[in-house]
This record gives sequence, C-alpha cells and structure tokens, in this order.
Amino acid sequence: MLSTILKKLGVSVATIFGASLFAFILLRKVPGDPARAIAGDTATPETIAALRKSMGLDENILVQYGKYMESIFRGDFGFSYSTGTPVGTLLSQRLPATLELGLLSVIIAIGAAVLTAGMAVYSRRRWPDKALRISSSLAMGSPPFWIALLALMVLSIQFGIFPGPEGRLSPGVIKPPAVTGLFTIDSLLAGQWATFGNALWHLVLPAAVVALGPFAFLSRLYRNQLRGTLRETFVTVARSHGLRRFPVFNRHVAPHGLLSLLPAASLLFADLLAGSLLVEKVFGWPGVGSMTADAIIQKDFAVVQAVLLLAAILYVVVTLLADVLMAAADPRTRVGAR
Amino acid sequence: MSHASLPLLSPRPASPDEAPVLAVRGLRTDFEARTGTVHAVRDVTFDVRKGQRLAIVGESGSGKSALAMSLVGLVPPPGRVVGGSISLNGKELVGLDDNGMSQVRGRDIGLVFQDPMAALDPLRTIGSQFVETIRVHQDVSVRTARKMACELLAEVGVNDPARRIADYPHQYSGGMRQRVLIAMAIANDPAVVIADEPTTALDVTTQAQVLDLLAKICDERGNALIMITHNLGIVEELCDSVNVMYAGRFVESTSARSLFETPAHPYSQALLDCVIDPATTRRGAMPAIPGSPPDLSVDEPGCPFAPRCPIGRNEPRCATERPEPRTLSTGAVVRCHFASDITGGEA
Repeated sequence: MLSTILKKLGVSVATIFGASLFAFILLRKVPGDPARAIAGDTATPETIAALRKSMGLDENILVQYGKYMESIFRGDFGFSYSTGTPVGTLLSQRLPATLELGLLSVIIAIGAAVLTAGMAVYSRRRWPDKALRISSSLAMGSPPFWIALLALMVLSIQFGIFPGPEGRLSPGVIKPPAVTGLFTIDSLLAGQWATFGNALWHLVLPAAVVALGPFAFLSRLYRNQLRGTLRETFVTVARSHGLRRFPVFNRHVAPHGLLSLLPAASLLFADLLAGSLLVEKVFGWPGVGSMTADAIIQKDFAVVQAVLLLAAILYVVVTLLADVLMAAADPRTRVGAR
Repeated sequence: MSHASLPLLSPRPASPDEAPVLAVRGLRTDFEARTGTVHAVRDVTFDVRKGQRLAIVGESGSGKSALAMSLVGLVPPPGRVVGGSISLNGKELVGLDDNGMSQVRGRDIGLVFQDPMAALDPLRTIGSQFVETIRVHQDVSVRTARKMACELLAEVGVNDPARRIADYPHQYSGGMRQRVLIAMAIANDPAVVIADEPTTALDVTTQAQVLDLLAKICDERGNALIMITHNLGIVEELCDSVNVMYAGRFVESTSARSLFETPAHPYSQALLDCVIDPATTRRGAMPAIPGSPPDLSVDEPGCPFAPRCPIGRNEPRCATERPEPRTLSTGAVVRCHFASDITGGEA
C-alpha cells in the first residue's frame, strides 16, 4: 500500500515538474517578443535590448528556467508586466472568483448528469433517453464561448432574466467581508441576504455555461454505467427477492454508476479549466480564466506560467483525491477490510 | 455423475390428492426480437405439489430459464408472458402488475440462480443484502433481521455467521456464496423454490455439497423444489418427477424413475444416451444428438424434434402434424406420435 502511495506521489511531482518545464519552454519559443510588446511600437532597439536584459530574456534558457524555479520555491511567482502587479497578488485576487464559478459548475454538472441520466435509464419509456442523447451531443459539440454569447444575448439582454456581463456583483453592491473569498459563502456568513442573492444571480448563468460540456460527458458516462449495471445478475437476484424497481435502482444500481464517476472527476476538472477561460472573458468574470486569456495575448510570461503550474497542481491533487476516494469506496480495493 | 456417492435424502413422493401449490396452464412467453418473435415458452402445463421435487430438463436454448423467469414475472425485455395461467395457491399471477409480483417474489417463490459469483452486489456486505431481503417481506427491525440472517447462514453451513455476515461477497468462495444465496432464497419461507442450474458455475466437489444442502433444506421445510438443469445426474438423485423440455414445450412429463427406466419420447432417450458413463464409454466416442435445436422464431407445423429424431426423420406425419400430449400406461405424458411404439404400451 505504501509503495503504491509513493509511486502515485512520485508521478504527481513529475507531472507538475513536467508541466512547469513545458510551459516555460513553450512560451519562450512562440514567435513574438514580449520586450517589444511591453516597450511599444515606437521604442528604439536600444530600449528593447535594455528591457530584454532587465527581464532576463537575454540569458540562456536553462538559466532562465533555473532562476524561475528558484523564485517559485521562494513563493515569488514573478511580475506581471502587462498589469504592473506581482503575479502572486493577481492570483490571490482572482482565484476566489474562479473557484466559486468552478465549484458551482461542478455541482451543476454532476447534479444534472446524475438526475437526467438516472431518470433516462430508470424510465420505462424511450424518449427521455433519446432526449438525453441528443442534448448531450449538442452540448459536447458546441464551443462554450459561443454558448456563453448566446446565453448572454438571449437570457440577459433579450429577456433580462440574468444580469449582463458585469462581473460578480451588480454595480453599487458592496462586497461581503472577505473570509473565503467566495462571495456567496461570505455573504451568508455575514448574514447579508441581498448580497447573497445578487452574487448567486450573477453566478448561475456563467456556471451553467461552464458546466455544459462536463455535464454532457458525465451524463453519457453515468447513463452507460447504469445501463450496464442493470444487466448484472445481482440486480435480477435482488428483484427475485421481492425488491421493487426503485429500491433496487437506488441501492444496487446507482452506487455502481456513481463509483464510475469518480475517476472521471480529474478529466472533468481539466475540462472546467479550459472551458472557463473564454467564458469568463465573455461574462466579464474577474477570475483567473479571463486574466489568463489577457495574459496570453499580452505575452505576459509570468502570469501564464503561474496559471499553468497552478492548473497542473490542481489537476494532480484532484486526480489523487479521486484515486483515494475510489479506493475507499470500493470494498474490493479497500485495504484491511479483513 | 459426480455425486453418486453422496448420501442425499430420498425424495418424498408427491401425493396426487393434495391441491397443487403451483398450477401452470398453457403458459406462453415470447421475445420480440428484431428478426421476428421468438416463442421461448410454448404451451407449458404442469403442477407442483407441496414437498415435490420437480425437474425441468433440456438443452441450452430449450426455454428452461425463460420458463423460470416467467413464473416470477422477471422475463427480461423484450420478452413477456403472452398467454396461459400461473396459479399460486389459487392466486393468478399472470397479468399481475410489478408491485403485485414483488410481493410474491421471495415470499411465495424463491429463486436460486446459476452464477453465484455475479449474484451478489459487490459493493454491499452480505449482511446488508440479507437484512434487505428479509425486511422486504417481514416487518421486523434491522437487529432482528440480522439475527434471523445469522441463523439462516448457520443453517446453510456458513461458519461463524456473526462475523462473516459483515463481510463483502468477494470474501466468500463461489460455493459459500451459493449457500448464502440459498439462505436468502428461503429467508421468507417460500412455498416454492426454483433453482435455475444452481451448480453449473461451481466446481465438481462443491456442486455435490450445494445439491445436498438444497435437498436437505427442502426436506426440512417442506417447500416444493423446481430444479432446472441440463444435468440428468442431478435429476436422478434429487428429483421425483421430470419434465423434459424441447423447443419451448414439455415433450415428456413423468416420474424420475420412469424416465430413467422407460424413456418414452425419442428426445428423452437421446438425452439419456448422451449421459457419459466412464465405465462403458470408449475413448473418443462422445455420444451426441445429431443436428441442432430448432429456430424458436418459427412455429413449425410438425414435431420440432422430427429432423433430429431417429423415427421422425422418415415419418411424413412428424413433419406435418404436431403431436398433442398423450398419457401412456406408465403415467408419462408425451408429445410424440410414436411414443407407444418405443415403450410398447399405450394407455
């Protein structure tokens, strides 16, 4: 057991290290000179050369990487040239917004997938299953930023059900006192019901749009798993003991499906990160995604690197967590269960 | 026959005066396949009396399992019972909705399945599944149900049930799991236990123990046993009466003794000829019935066994006229035009 854990940890560390190296090299090998971008079109070659020197861009790429890693271990994520702020500060400002969006998206995606796929499989009729198949195909095939634009145009601008792209709160609404950084939770902790409502109102539409892709993926996975489990002998045996359809579904079929969703969680997480990038931009959400989209265009190395590293760490942590939960939930892999 | 040396309790002969526990009349089950309707069970009629041990014998695909599932209303879609009657202590089961059937399953009719390795939910302990089974039909507390489960587990030969009940299925061997499943099937004291090839998935030594257990349980509790099998050895040792099934129909219904001594239907004879006796069989000469079972989506006009039958092959009557059930002097009910010519005695 210990060796398995060590092996997994080793792979995790290697993944994070590899991701950092990859991000570092990739961003330095893409065409376009960040020094020129920062200095502007009118800058003289001397100014640019001086800027390159101050940014350390004239040094050997390995030396640059070494310096970069060293500063990371000191907790220094570099300096964002495009905004003039340390990357660490930027992240701490923007991470809560993205976390809040991501968490609600995960809840929506899993909740909707489990409910709709469960109903589609449990139903004796055929149309719920067909409807699920068609809608999940559409959701998988549509780019999130396009859905975001469409949702914004129809639901916010046309019908006014949801707020426009104005960020996390309506203008004039005061931020709740920061505890977790998640406005919905902070406002509840402070007992500010109006703020909670406002924050949730702003959160729902972007979260639903980000959740769409993962929902499509999870609902298909869950549906197929449920249908497979329904054919298992133990389901017929439980029925032969006199259990009705719903108890059998609830106690013997659904748990197997849910177990299969766990390993998919890490894949889902990667999907969420990619999905939130442009969706945040469309909704004017002040999170890591919109910041990253801007930083890529500005060739703001330090920001993109930090975000990639963060994404790799989160991904690895979620995967590890899913593995551990999976091993704990399945009695066949549980260790020491006699 | 591997269990020849094992001391099985002798079957109790059924008395014909008693009212049958289960009376099946003209039962028909169809599967709506894309290629046509498969008639898996065709006009099956039989009675089961208290304490009786009835065998249903046939090849794979003869409709035995479809029949078992029809009796408890669990025919998997797209199959369904399309006609006939199943009367359980006078209560009609055909046409009952799922909630009604759920009350019958487990309480009046218990089932034991073929593959014990797949018959228990791997994510739940034996105890939780057992307690669930008891509490579906009996209004008892979890604690009481657990105690009942322990007693039943002890009865079927699980050692230290108080500890073993907390284990998961994967911690049990195949034979032990089948014992647990037998205990679950009888937990609500059903009048009829249907065992669908209960030993096919087990190894030979375990097979005998499980059969021994089934016989003992039925003897002690007095419930009827319907043994579905392709193994004539099991029939000979365990059952008092036999129905030989071919292409969805019972082609011969008789006592076990009469089947082994004077098989009336050519198919019964062919089945008996296929039993391998190590003492007399030459190496390399495995007996088999030539040809293969008929396509069940076709309702042929004649006898379905005719193309494979040593008599029917050459008789035009067998190809054109379906044999109706006839009672012979031995008491056997046979679907064959020529059965009397084989055994030499017709009622």
